Amino acid sequence: MKHANRIITALILIFLYIPMAVLIVASFNTGTDITEFEGFTLQQYVRLFQDDKLLGLLGNSLLISILASGIATVFGTLAAVGINSLNPKLRKLVMSLTDIPMTNPDIVTGISLSLLFVFVGTTMLGQKESLTFWTLLIAHITFNLPYVILNVMPKLKQMDASLTDAAMDLGCTPVQAFFKVTLHEIMPGVISGAIMAFTMSLDDFVISYFVTGNSFITLPVEIYSYVKKPVAPKVYALFTLLFLLIFVLMAAMNLMQLRADQKRKETRVRVETEGMKVFKRLVAVTAAAALVIGCGWLILHPAEEKVTLNVYNWGQYISEGQDDTIDVIAEFENAYPWIDVRYSTYSDNETMYTKLSGGGITVDVIIPSDYMVARLIAEGMLLELDFSNIPNYAYVDEAFRNTAYDPENKYSVPYTWGTVGIIYNTKYVDEADVTGWELLWNKKYDDKILMFGNSRDAFGIAQYLLGYDVNTTDPAELRACANKLKEQRPMVQQYIMDEIFAAMENEEAWIATYYAGDCLTMMENNPDLAFYFPQEQGFNMFIDAMCIPTCCQEKEAAELFINFLCDPWISGQNMNALGYSTPISAAKDYMDPEMVESELAYPSEEILVNATSYAYLPEEITQLVEALFQEATKLID
Amino acid sequence: MAKELIRLQDLVMEFDGERILDGINLYFNDHEFLTLLGPSGCGKTTTLRIIGGFLTPTSGKVLFDGKEVNDVPPYQRQVNTVFQRYALFPHLDVYDNIAFGLNVAKVDKQEIHDRVHEMLGIVGLKGYENRRVESLSGGQQQRVAIARALVNRPKVLLLDEPLAALDLRLRKDMQNELKRIQQAMGITFIYVTHDQEEALSMSDTVVVMDKGRIQQIGRPEDIYNEPKNAFVADFIGESNILDGTMLADYKVRFFGRNFECLDKGFAPNEPVDVVIRPEDIDIVPPEQGHLVGTVTSVTFKGLNYDIICEFRGFKWLIQTTDFHPVGATIGILLNPEDIHIMKKSEYSGMFGDYSSYSAEYDELTEDAGNEED
Amino acid sequence: MKKTNAALLSTPYIVWMVVFTLVPLGVVCFYALTDAAGNFTWANLLELRAYLPVLWQSILYSLAAAFICLLLGYPVAYYISHRSPTAQKFLYMLIMLPMCMSFLLRTLAWVGLLQDTGIINDLLASLGLARLKLIRTPGAVILGMVYNYLPYMILPLYSTICKIDHRLIEAAEDLGCTPVQVFSKVILPLSVPGILSGVTMVFVPAVSTFYISQKLGNPRDTVLIGDIIERLFKQADNPNLGAALSLVLMALVFVCTGIMNRFGGDTQEGDVIV
Repeated sequence: MKHANRIITALILIFLYIPMAVLIVASFNTGTDITEFEGFTLQQYVRLFQDDKLLGLLGNSLLISILASGIATVFGTLAAVGINSLNPKLRKLVMSLTDIPMTNPDIVTGISLSLLFVFVGTTMLGQKESLTFWTLLIAHITFNLPYVILNVMPKLKQMDASLTDAAMDLGCTPVQAFFKVTLHEIMPGVISGAIMAFTMSLDDFVISYFVTGNSFITLPVEIYSYVKKPVAPKVYALFTLLFLLIFVLMAAMNLMQLRADQKRKETRVRVETEGMKVFKRLVAVTAAAALVIGCGWLILHPAEEKVTLNVYNWGQYISEGQDDTIDVIAEFENAYPWIDVRYSTYSDNETMYTKLSGGGITVDVIIPSDYMVARLIAEGMLLELDFSNIPNYAYVDEAFRNTAYDPENKYSVPYTWGTVGIIYNTKYVDEADVTGWELLWNKKYDDKILMFGNSRDAFGIAQYLLGYDVNTTDPAELRACANKLKEQRPMVQQYIMDEIFAAMENEEAWIATYYAGDCLTMMENNPDLAFYFPQEQGFNMFIDAMCIPTCCQEKEAAELFINFLCDPWISGQNMNALGYSTPISAAKDYMDPEMVESELAYPSEEILVNATSYAYLPEEITQLVEALFQEATKLID
Repeated sequence: MAKELIRLQDLVMEFDGERILDGINLYFNDHEFLTLLGPSGCGKTTTLRIIGGFLTPTSGKVLFDGKEVNDVPPYQRQVNTVFQRYALFPHLDVYDNIAFGLNVAKVDKQEIHDRVHEMLGIVGLKGYENRRVESLSGGQQQRVAIARALVNRPKVLLLDEPLAALDLRLRKDMQNELKRIQQAMGITFIYVTHDQEEALSMSDTVVVMDKGRIQQIGRPEDIYNEPKNAFVADFIGESNILDGTMLADYKVRFFGRNFECLDKGFAPNEPVDVVIRPEDIDIVPPEQGHLVGTVTSVTFKGLNYDIICEFRGFKWLIQTTDFHPVGATIGILLNPEDIHIMKKSEYSGMFGDYSSYSAEYDELTEDAGNEED
Repeated sequence: MKKTNAALLSTPYIVWMVVFTLVPLGVVCFYALTDAAGNFTWANLLELRAYLPVLWQSILYSLAAAFICLLLGYPVAYYISHRSPTAQKFLYMLIMLPMCMSFLLRTLAWVGLLQDTGIINDLLASLGLARLKLIRTPGAVILGMVYNYLPYMILPLYSTICKIDHRLIEAAEDLGCTPVQVFSKVILPLSVPGILSGVTMVFVPAVSTFYISQKLGNPRDTVLIGDIIERLFKQADNPNLGAALSLVLMALVFVCTGIMNRFGGDTQEGDVIV
């Protein structure tokens, strides 16, 4: 039996560390695919240290976890002393209060706090931005406190209560007694509470995910949006370094404790080992330094003269400077050094809408699709643009003006246009099956089909397949579409958005429907991929346009940003990298001729003959579509 | 004699509606060694903690030198305490533990050094300055605790069952040691214990407490020889307590016989409790005894035998150096000075019957006593 | 007197916890009982019926995960608690360490391992074996849960087993127990508090997870209640229904912990963690 336990333990440890090993190996990989080791390189580490954004996020995470755990440790230790001297009934009550964040699922804690902050900040106080650094800090302190208390309380209970009496008997005031005696006794609990709070805070994703606005983002939250796209290997490099750091720290702590224990055993003379002393001092100094730096950062940061521009865009929807492309945001910041761009992404129009309408955040520029622009205009969520700040609007082609969604050209400037089609892998998919949208319903390719993870695009496809108008408001037709989607569900591998890139490129899935521009990118990375326009049945043609929402705080900077993206050279470089189509013909001069020629990016009139655009639907229809989509794609029958 | 230092007036202490102290009136003199003696839960530790300033009485007054100090916190009182389990600071060594109070008071370093070393000498711990307190034996820790309190030169030293955690031998040594230190320092010791022997051997004055009330105050000899009620009689040493009737002065009747005694001042035919100490009973041949009984158990105790002897269904404890086997019929002789008469009290009938006596009895009660709060 | 002064120290904490734990739960209730316009309605609660299958499925998956964690975790905890103190510390650290690292990335690594074109299948293929359907199965979701929450099972078990007085084992042996009997009659019953708190600590995060099932599951039979709540808040713009579902989840968890506490006696979670 003892042997069996040893083997099981060894196997469990291997089980626990396999994924870590995979990530560490991936950090030395020349390729980006985690499953394929193409060659050894340290390049990812170089890239990591060149990536100010990633390091900034790490800094944010460290800042919030140090501040939150530090405050929670001080606050919680004092509270524990207080709780310990409450009468037993009250103590029990307070301890059950302490248990709430511990037993409550993180998701509920996160949701409840975010609802509170938005409710108080936006609904009651009318603040524009109610989810800020401070609310995140409050949330972290709140879930850190119980860890501190639950670590300190047992030490307080273990402590001989007459020690404090003795100290006071010998002339200490209660405060002196706390510092001279109690604190020493409970120190191990305080330290382990602080460490636990710190690690919980550093790695917290769920609570932060719900409480984060867009002005202050921590690393795990950003990683969540990364893992929806192909993850940059430098993230693995960051993971590896953090892993090593924590490993070394923990091992060092253990070793020091062991040595102290041994020495204590060896000599009966009192030893505060030099190691422990140095370590304690080190911890104290680091903590103090971190607090000072943190506070300093807090005081200095807002004092910077820079204007912060919050851009909220689709994922994978701007050239970020990989593989010899330009970094559009860096170019913009170079051109306007007084503006600091804070960039965050969404996966679809609905997610963006939810975040905006939920309130509590500041966003200066968004890039929704046509029908969503119309919805935002109708709901009064957009500001009119001042076109004197956007002289480059002159370059926008006539075809993209006076559109149905913004007939008077008051609220939007087109960013890209594009189409939706089918991308499939020629290695696995029989060309004969590629006849139209029904390919996505083909049982032969069970579990290899990817479907849109947003209601409007998914319904659109069902509508084209069934021959309905994509802008139908007939509930019966919409129900029929929902049934069609339900019929498809057993074959669908996943309902996703940006994750499509990775799944198609590494051939985890064979058939998907997505935006043509992105398909171009995928096809570049995997030559076996091919694209198909279901010309007969029709497909969606969309325009994504830049707008300024009402929660904007830097309108002029936002307009400068919009203007910058309309610069023909910038637009050309940007579209070159994205594969989407530019609404600015002048930009084509600066583009790869191959791209300009591409049928995918710029399909001919003939192909586009049955292409249609989504229009804004009345609120109740939008909600019905959303509800039907929920029903069709999830388990609810 | 000496002047009065502390006075407790009508002290009442209640916790959650439960009355722990029920009207304590007591004064302490300078240079006195006073012991609060009682079973666990009798309120002796509570009384001590009130004097130390760790508790505020529900009502009543604590006076130091005639001034009320009810609300003076412990760190401003001129008393120091030796705690039950010493309460030495584990993160400090012997020297720093003893110097703690002086350091808090910001006494000059050199003076601290001198005074700590002086104290180390008094308690016999020279050379132990840099030891961790955890590495010391119980007796040594005890000495550190005493030194730590005394180095502050308090007017009164409070000791809360300081010897409870020590083994028997060490306890005896420390009793002598404590007495010696008290006399050397010339200050008041207020000592709390549940151990009657400890109380009797060390104290100038013993205060017997039970149920939050003082049962008797007096010199050790008086307490032993003239217990006021059945509780005191039983708690201080072993006692056979019988129902009797005081016929007249110096004449008491029990077991259907009349005995001579030395007590007087009772009403004619007043029911009383009669106390007979087991070591005072003389065993004689049956035909010479006042009473004749049968030995039901014999336990060897080292110095003597504990004999349980049955008289008409009532079992007595007799301590004797002579062996009498189980089943033997013996007579006993009671001299007038062996018979002590007490007024009836709430404790009458609760003590002094050895029907359920067993040899383990002593140890059991001692263990229970250790659990004093 | 001094006691009440010290007790005052807990006041700011109590205020903080009331404001940031009780009040938010009140706000959740408020949202659950109102519609988008803020008017009172029972509609959200009535709609919950449609989500019962998902809820039931989430409970089943998490119970399965908790049970497997117990089976795997017990021998490990037992083994660790019988090592030398040095080895115990080291092994304890090894178990703790993965918990400190981003669980998103570690789950992502499992995707890389399990997917059809992933590391395990590539390995099988290169050995000439058939590829296996690993990812997007209920098994994969449970594996993800077991992987992520196994340490939460081992740690309380370990500290409970450590606390078992060795003399009890000797006493049992003395009274004629075989090693198997010692285990089943003494050690196992004494580790019940650890088992219960371990099961709770695995069950609670597992039943509310929303990432593992998205990555390792499929849209057919592994959708969990957490996924739906996340979607309702983040995409579907229906915080009212989301709040109602959160209430259900919370009630479920409190009922579970209530049951566990009842049978596990008064085990403080603090003891278990430390």
